[in-house]
This record gives sequence, C-alpha cells and structure tokens, in this order.
Amino acid sequence: MAKAPAIPPAPLTPSRRTTILFGLALVAVLSFLALGLQWGQLLPHGGGVEIAGNFFAAAVQPAFTYEGSDFLPADAPAFLLKVGLALWRTLLYAVAAISLALVLGAVFGVLASEGFWQGRRGGAAVRLAVRWFMAVLRSVHELIWALLFLAAIGLSPAAAVMAIALPYGGTLAKVFAEMLDESSPAAANALHGLGARPLQVFLFGRLPRALADIAAYAFYRFECAVRSSAVLGFFGYTTLGLYIRQSFENLHYREVWAYLYALLLLVLALEAWSSQIRRRFVA
Amino acid sequence: MNANTPGADSAADASWEHILELRRKRPRSGWIRASLWVACGLLLTAWTTTGIRMQDLFGASRMERLDRFLREDAMPRPLRDGSGSLWSWMAELWHSGAGTAMLATLLIAVLAIVLAAFLAWFFALLGARNLMSAHPFLPHATADAKSCPQTLPRIARAIRLLCVLLRGIPEYIWAFLLLAMLGSSAWPAVLALAIHNAGILGRLGSETVENLSPAPLRAMTMMGASRRVVAFTAIFPLSLGRYLLYFFYRFETCVREATVLGMLGVLSLGYEIVEARAHGRYDEMLFYVVLAMLLVLAADILSDLARRWLRRGM
Repeated sequence: MAKAPAIPPAPLTPSRRTTILFGLALVAVLSFLALGLQWGQLLPHGGGVEIAGNFFAAAVQPAFTYEGSDFLPADAPAFLLKVGLALWRTLLYAVAAISLALVLGAVFGVLASEGFWQGRRGGAAVRLAVRWFMAVLRSVHELIWALLFLAAIGLSPAAAVMAIALPYGGTLAKVFAEMLDESSPAAANALHGLGARPLQVFLFGRLPRALADIAAYAFYRFECAVRSSAVLGFFGYTTLGLYIRQSFENLHYREVWAYLYALLLLVLALEAWSSQIRRRFVA
Repeated sequence: MNANTPGADSAADASWEHILELRRKRPRSGWIRASLWVACGLLLTAWTTTGIRMQDLFGASRMERLDRFLREDAMPRPLRDGSGSLWSWMAELWHSGAGTAMLATLLIAVLAIVLAAFLAWFFALLGARNLMSAHPFLPHATADAKSCPQTLPRIARAIRLLCVLLRGIPEYIWAFLLLAMLGSSAWPAVLALAIHNAGILGRLGSETVENLSPAPLRAMTMMGASRRVVAFTAIFPLSLGRYLLYFFYRFETCVREATVLGMLGVLSLGYEIVEARAHGRYDEMLFYVVLAMLLVLAADILSDLARRWLRRGM
C-alpha cells in the first residue's frame, strides 16, 4: 500500500477541524456547480440503460469462451489462453518498466537526498536540479508520455515501457530521497564520529536503515505499474486494456468481465505477495 | 573479538571470525530468497521474450521521425513560419478553451477526492477489525473468537474485499466503462476517480483506525458507549489528522489522473491533447501537455503545503 506518513499530524483543535471540513465541503459544492453537473445525469439514460443493465448482469457470468464466434479468425487461440497471454504481457511490461524506473529512482533518489551530500560540496545545487527534473518527469502522466512517444517515434513496445518508466522513476526518486532522509541518523552519526568517509557513512549508516521502506514502496509502485501497463492497451499495445476495449465495443460484456477479473486476480496476488514480504522485513 | 591478544594478526583474525559469525546468524527468510529468484526470472523473461528492445528507440528511422517531430510538428506555429508572436499564439489557445479545460480538470479532481473521502470514511469504519468485532477494542476478543458472533467481522472482511475490487481496476478503465453508460458529462471522470480512490482511502482509513491507541476507545466502551458513539466522538477526531494526510496525498494523484481521463471524451485537458493530436496539430498538443504538467506541479505544491500545515498544527 501507499507510503505511511512518517511524521504524524499534530492534533486538530475542534474549531480547526470544523474549518477544514466545511472548507472541503464548500470547495466540492463549488466544483459541482462550476462543472455544470446534475444529479439526474448520474442515472443511465437513453441507450445507456441497456448497456448498464447488460454490463452488470454479465458480472456474475464472466466468459470462459468467446462470445459470438462469427467473426473469429480460424487461428484464434482459445479464449482463456488469450486472457492468460494478455495478463502475462501486462505483467511483463510492468516488470520491464519498473526495472528501468528503479534504476532511475535509485540514482536520482540518492543524488536528491540530503544524507548523500553530508560532508561533500555542491550538494545544494545538484539536489535542486535533480528534484526539479524528477518533478517534471512525474508530473507528466504515463498515458501522456505514451502519446508523446507515439507522436514522436511511433508505436514500439520499448516506448510503452519508457512511458511508464519515466514518471515512475521520478516518483521513486522523490520517495527514496525522503525515506533516506527520514530514517534514523544514529548509525550515520556514529560512523561519521568514527572517521568514516562520506560514502561509507551513506552506504553503511543511511542506506540499511531505509532499505526495508524502500523495498516496500518499490513493490507498491510495481503494483501500480501493472495497472498502468493494463491501461496502455487502450493506445494499441497488446496488454489487457486493448482487449477490454475491443470486447466492450463489440458488446461482449462477459468477455470484458473475464479480463477485469483476471486483472483483479493479478492485483490481489501481488498484494498478498507484497504483504508477505513486508511482514518478513519488519520482523 | 579480543583486541588485547598479542600480535595484530590474531586480533584481525578474531574480529574477522566475529564478522563471519554475525553473518551466519543474520536473519534469513526463504520467502524473500524465493521472491528474489522469481523477480530475477520475471526480469529476464520481460527483457528477452516480449520484443521490448531499447535499441528500437534509437533506430535510424525512429531518429529521423523524432527529428522531424521536434523540428516541424512540435515547433509552435509562430516560430515555424514566423507568423505572429509566440505569446499571442499561447494567449489565443488559452482563450479558445485551454483555460477552461485546465480549470475543469482541477474541479473534477477536487469533487472526486471529496466524494471519495466521504465514502471511504464509512468503508474505513466498517472495515476496521478492532471496531467490527463482537467485543470492540478488548484484547481478549480475538482469543475466544469461536464463541463470539462472527457477523461483524464478516462484514469487515466483505468491505475490505469491496475496497480491493474498487481500487484494483484503474481509473481509466472505470471512466471508459462509465462513459458508455452515463453518456457525456463530467460524471464518468468524477465517479471513476471517486470509486478508485474510495477503495484506496477505505483501506488506508481502516488501517488508521486499527492503529489508534486502544485505551480511550476501550474506556468509552467499558462505560457503555455504543460503537456508533465511539466512532463519531472518539475515532473520528482521533483519526482525522492522519486521514487528511492521506486525503491530500491522494488529491495530488487525482489531479494527475484527471489530466488523462479527458482523453476518453470528457471536456478537460486530456480531451484537448487527443483532439490536437488527431488533427495533427502537435505544437498545440505540446502546449496542452505543458499546461497539464504545470497543473500537476501546482497540485503537488498545494498538497505539500497542506500536509506541512497539518503536521505543524497551528
């Protein structure tokens, strides 16, 4: 799951609490009005009623074979095999993307952390530059990166991987730097006092303290990368999104649910895996 | 170990022995080792079997295309053919819809995150195991769980599963599905963001409630307060601060996601981006991308300030 706030919030006084809650409610109401929304639009109408009815009815009976086999090419793989392959490719795109993002995040995260620059010169300028660079990388959404790559160089699996890896690398670098700086400095200070060089202080004093948090967060981002890689299918890559879109547009809702359940199973499995890993790291 | 032994060599040997001893006794986990092997296997498979080749990005034809893109397609029109100033070009785009699209993107995110937080607050309570037990907040409640009624724990489990389902499906897919049912308005984008984030905030909220110090809650229960009273008079104020930290963290990601949901056809920045691309106006597309970037950066800074304010406690 997401990074827990390391520094707890200050207690809220009742008056401050009221101000915050009323403020948020007010902002929401203003957004509602400015967007020109109406409550009536929340219910399906027109053709939407039928789509919604059929779609949710299909939720309890996901497809195990193709729905409507009229237009199938003769060499189409068995449906479940197709689902499995799409899921497998979704996973592998995410693996490739997160591995690049980890390299980016590790290098720039270390460069952006305060601990690494203790006892060295030039830290402030480099840190500022790296922080801004990372902020730019992560403030462009992975789907926008994907579109930019499509426009600039065309469709390529490597471009899909880069589209995920760039913003994720930016996020990982920011969070890694924070974790390195928020970890207890006791060991680092002790090593420094013993006369260790800055690199030794960092490698043996700072890094081990933060490593469990870093691993847990990296795994959480991997789960996010799986979802992002599924969505990239909407732009023509052969991950789950492509088939969800195709099946939905062919009105094969039971197939859509098969893909959705496959994605959910993968996400659940990864969450179970990561919570097992975290339990062993904490213990 | 023993630094006083005569002869530096034996001292070094002894301390080396000690290091080896420590290494042998380090905590090890078969699970983590197996996970590392699986990770290596996946990594190898991903880079060898999928056709993902990084050199593909730098091939001659790709470079040519990139060169043309940067020199011609993406170069703002006034710079390309010398017609008018860059500034008036941007002002024109801003007034012809970019400004409203940017505002709409922000408002979609704001409305969605408030809706999500409201919904998730109930998920948080109903999914918290310490509240949803036959004897809330009592340490022995889990010990003799078999003799206790299991209705409430079952509800808690169901709510947690619901949260997984909600957050397991990406916002973009929720929006795609909802758009077909609800037709074109901002609702599909708002609901998609709200549904996904309710799943996330619900889970984080349950954890917050479970991690609260049990003493005050137990004391209230012992004096006869019902679950509802405890929830609204004790759990709510005690957990609000941390919940708000999560709220602002998710707000940031909501704005980021909102910039792309428009790609499905909701009037916001994503819509302008795909429209410009569809018409081959790559210079305008790049302008909208920069606007999206600035919006996300601004939301980042805003959420950072809000969280700092919460931590400082004024």
